[in-house]
Amino acid sequence: MAARFASRLSHVGRSVFGGLGNISSGSLRTSLDSTWNNFLSQQQQRTFIQMRTVLKVVDNSGAKKVMCIQALKGKKGARLGDTIVASVKEAHPNGKVKKGEVVYGVVVRAAMQRGRCDGSEVKFDDNAVVLLDKQGQPRGTRVFGPVPHELRKKKHLKILTLAEHIA
Amino acid sequence: MASKVLPQALFITPRSSNQCPPKKLGLSTFPSPRSTSLNLNRLSTSRFSSNSFGFHFRPIVVSPKRFFIVSAEADNEGELGPDENTEEEETVSETESEVKLDAEDEAKPPRKPRVKLGDIMGILNKRAIEASEKERPVPDLRTGDIVEIKLEVPENRRRLSIYKGIVISKQNAGIHTTIRVRRIIAGVGVEIVFPVYSPNIKEIKVVNHRKVRRARLYYLRDKLPRLSTFK
Repeated sequence: MAARFASRLSHVGRSVFGGLGNISSGSLRTSLDSTWNNFLSQQQQRTFIQMRTVLKVVDNSGAKKVMCIQALKGKKGARLGDTIVASVKEAHPNGKVKKGEVVYGVVVRAAMQRGRCDGSEVKFDDNAVVLLDKQGQPRGTRVFGPVPHELRKKKHLKILTLAEHIA
Repeated sequence: MASKVLPQALFITPRSSNQCPPKKLGLSTFPSPRSTSLNLNRLSTSRFSSNSFGFHFRPIVVSPKRFFIVSAEADNEGELGPDENTEEEETVSETESEVKLDAEDEAKPPRKPRVKLGDIMGILNKRAIEASEKERPVPDLRTGDIVEIKLEVPENRRRLSIYKGIVISKQNAGIHTTIRVRRIIAGVGVEIVFPVYSPNIKEIKVVNHRKVRRARLYYLRDKLPRLSTFK
């Protein structure tokens, strides 16, 4: 997909140059700048987890995919380590959680980078949640995949002990 | 424009030398350029009369604000010197020549190289990097190296966390030079940006190197996980 976009961009560049035979160098420079800006913004700008974001569920509570309804903290959305309210969109047939249920969850993996206090940043390849109950305890008994250190500060120690790997 | 201002300033100096408190220097840093030259000249020439001009060349880091002002003033004076020589000498020759003599006397003995305004960040960065290198030498890192980083996490002070992976990009920014390390952990791709000169990093070791023909390996995100897995 990225390769196709790059080839499309080069086609655009060629046609632009072809048509600019008579135009002055000033306009040529501006069109070059705009194509260069397009090229630079080719990298996806990952952003917060907000309403309608579909996340993967990485515990054995029974749900497979949930859609975020509300980020409990933050005006723009939830980040790594924040809790959200979500609606279950897809679930395992025999699980504790059924489809259409409104659940709470904590974001354990986010595609948006999260800065740490020492200047480092961490980002994952996907968005994932672990379902919680109202008191903040996980509903499942296992957690799959890596989880970040940020959960320790947010007091989700049980999830850290259940995790396979702490990133 | 500045030449018109200067003779006025020099006239004012003898009267106002007592009234202008030295502290004002720090506050009147950046209004308009004309008024700064007025203030600077007035205050610094009042300093000249008290023969404490030489003092302000030395503390580069201690009182950077004061130093900026003094060097700007010195540059200003230097510019005006060759241009309006005759005018200066005609108007207030005595104080100005006295001032220049004092300045030159004070500047010649220590013979320190003039630190220009634009170089200061570079010098501070170099000093910080040297201080960090003394603690822990940093190996030469390039994109495509497979590195192992031992990190001390403030929360988990018992053991050092080990991060292994391929360097997919290196951003050079002096003391905040960072490397981005990618690895597939437990089935999920994780990218972590490490500041290379951070005191939390206890060790960086280059384990292997992969031949890459790029400076940034962002294409690895779209490729098979197998290419980002490192045992």
